[in-house]
Amino acid sequence: MAQPSLLPDELVQELMAVGQVDVLVGIPTLNNAATIGSVVKAVHRGFARYFPRERTVLINSDGGSEDGTRAIVRDLSMDDADTLMLRHSLRTVHRISTPYHGVPGKGSALRQIFAAADLLQARAVAVLDPDVTTVTPEWIEALIRPVSAHACDFVSPVYVRHPLEGPLVSQLVRPLVRAAYGWQIAEPQAAEFGCSGRFAANCLEQDVWDTGLAQFGIDLWLTGAAVAGDYRCCQAVLGQRTFAPGASRPGISETFGQVVGSLFSCLERQAPSWLEREGSQPLPTVGPAPPPSPGESPPIDGERLLQSFGSDIRDLRSILETILTPETHAALNATAQIAPAELRFPDELWVATVYQFLAAHHAGVMRREHITQALLPLYLGRAGAFMLEHAGAAPASIDAALDELCREFERAKPYLVQRWARTQPR
Amino acid sequence: MAQMIADAVSQAGANFVDAIRTFLPRILTTFSIILAGWIIAVALRTLVRWMLGWLRFNTVCDRLGITPLLRAADLPAPDVLAAAVVFWLVWIGFLLSGVDVLGFTVLQGLVASFVLFIPRLLVALGIMLVGLLAGNFLWRATLLAAVNAHVSSPRVLAGAVRALILILAGAMALDQIAVARTIVLTAFAISFGAVMLGLAIAFGIGGGSVARRVLERQFPEKGSEPKPEEISHL
Repeated sequence: MAQPSLLPDELVQELMAVGQVDVLVGIPTLNNAATIGSVVKAVHRGFARYFPRERTVLINSDGGSEDGTRAIVRDLSMDDADTLMLRHSLRTVHRISTPYHGVPGKGSALRQIFAAADLLQARAVAVLDPDVTTVTPEWIEALIRPVSAHACDFVSPVYVRHPLEGPLVSQLVRPLVRAAYGWQIAEPQAAEFGCSGRFAANCLEQDVWDTGLAQFGIDLWLTGAAVAGDYRCCQAVLGQRTFAPGASRPGISETFGQVVGSLFSCLERQAPSWLEREGSQPLPTVGPAPPPSPGESPPIDGERLLQSFGSDIRDLRSILETILTPETHAALNATAQIAPAELRFPDELWVATVYQFLAAHHAGVMRREHITQALLPLYLGRAGAFMLEHAGAAPASIDAALDELCREFERAKPYLVQRWARTQPR
Repeated sequence: MAQMIADAVSQAGANFVDAIRTFLPRILTTFSIILAGWIIAVALRTLVRWMLGWLRFNTVCDRLGITPLLRAADLPAPDVLAAAVVFWLVWIGFLLSGVDVLGFTVLQGLVASFVLFIPRLLVALGIMLVGLLAGNFLWRATLLAAVNAHVSSPRVLAGAVRALILILAGAMALDQIAVARTIVLTAFAISFGAVMLGLAIAFGIGGGSVARRVLERQFPEKGSEPKPEEISHL
């Protein structure tokens, strides 16, 4: 049962007025006035088009926006076409905007959304990112239908994008999650997902909500909890995911620290459920299969990412010596000597580096934030080298190279397990 | 005349024998105290090393970055150093107690002064330890932040941060044990002021363009094109 303090009295009154629901869509926001309107419209169109008979509600959990985000959600009027469509809906349109209390961050917003879903006994829940401008009504169907019609507990999204896009996901998050948990998940770090009411209620019982993980890494934790637990998981294709131009996103240093720190912390917390797993299997895709990757590659300059790789390795020598084995450190030094245009960062070396960093994080050889910060220059080197090596290559061949990297992570997993068992956390 | 000389010699001999009879027990007591002190100090040194080994003190010092600093200063391992400090404090205490038994006027009160000095010494050692920990932590944090922000010469910057903290801790420790207090404080004030003035001048004159780049990166103009490294990695 939901904790009463998570739901303020005013919100409980509004929820009681809504009553029991079948589908709940949650949108955590913080100063998203520029984009929230189109997301809310897409949700209501999705309700009307794909779930006209179900009892639905949209809940916006806001972290204290000062740009009128909540007012937009509350007062948004639908245009003529939407009004016509909503008239065909057999149910009342419910939309609630409420502030959340507690630790600032997405975790508190999701906790409130899950608590509301628990109170309303929602059968299916979907969560959307308010910054995305390409949300369509089909996204709602893609995230909800596998839960309502196929009894899935967790729906992870698949975005349609060029394989060189999102290098942090393709070079580190995706292969590491696949090797650890044994499931081939395209987007383990996605802000959008669908889940069952049972999954939401079980997540509420976990002790993660007051930790830093909830503040910065709740998306990764949810994915990990779903694939590590006894839940039916699947994937659904959403389409292209684009942010509003000029939207302020944190820089790579901050993003990398949050994502990799959260990933390592998740693996630490969920170690008993993944250490024994071997190999991997594809996560079933519900709905249409993913279309071919778009041909246009993203404007990421590999040579620029590699620019300071050599000097960074030299500058961080004393820190890297503490984290890496002498062989890996020597191999990185040798790689760093090569001119950026010629530089190749072998898969085996990258996998050994990541696993040794993960083991060092587990052992706590130094402050854990420093360990993830020290990995950033190595990641930029690896990502830059991969971009240069595959610049101009066909998406299919890049996909094959990324799949080979994932397999290398899987092949080397016994080495990780061995190092993990050898070290005791401090 | 001869009798007088004989009496004087005899008296001197008797006095010497009396003095030895009085002083010999004191010497023996002194030696006993020193020997017992040495044995106790050695035993305590062994006990402290064993306890620190049991508490994985060296591993903790490795993690806190103290061991590399000690190695760079050609000092022994942290547990050996801590045990040595205990050994010398205990043995010097016994040594002074032993000397005090001899009753030399010039050495009177030495033990009392030493006992009063020990707390100040321990506080000074604590200050140095905290300085080492803080210096090493901030060195690593500065180095990582500077490398990831692509600041030029990150090792110099991080080393300067650590040096400043160690100098500050050293000055505070020396002030605590009252060693050349005025000289230490004056030297510290002059060096610290010189470093700060030097940095201000260097950054103001030589680093104007760097400052501009840092500020431009921190507060970008609205609508400006994102640079390649600012494009989403997710």
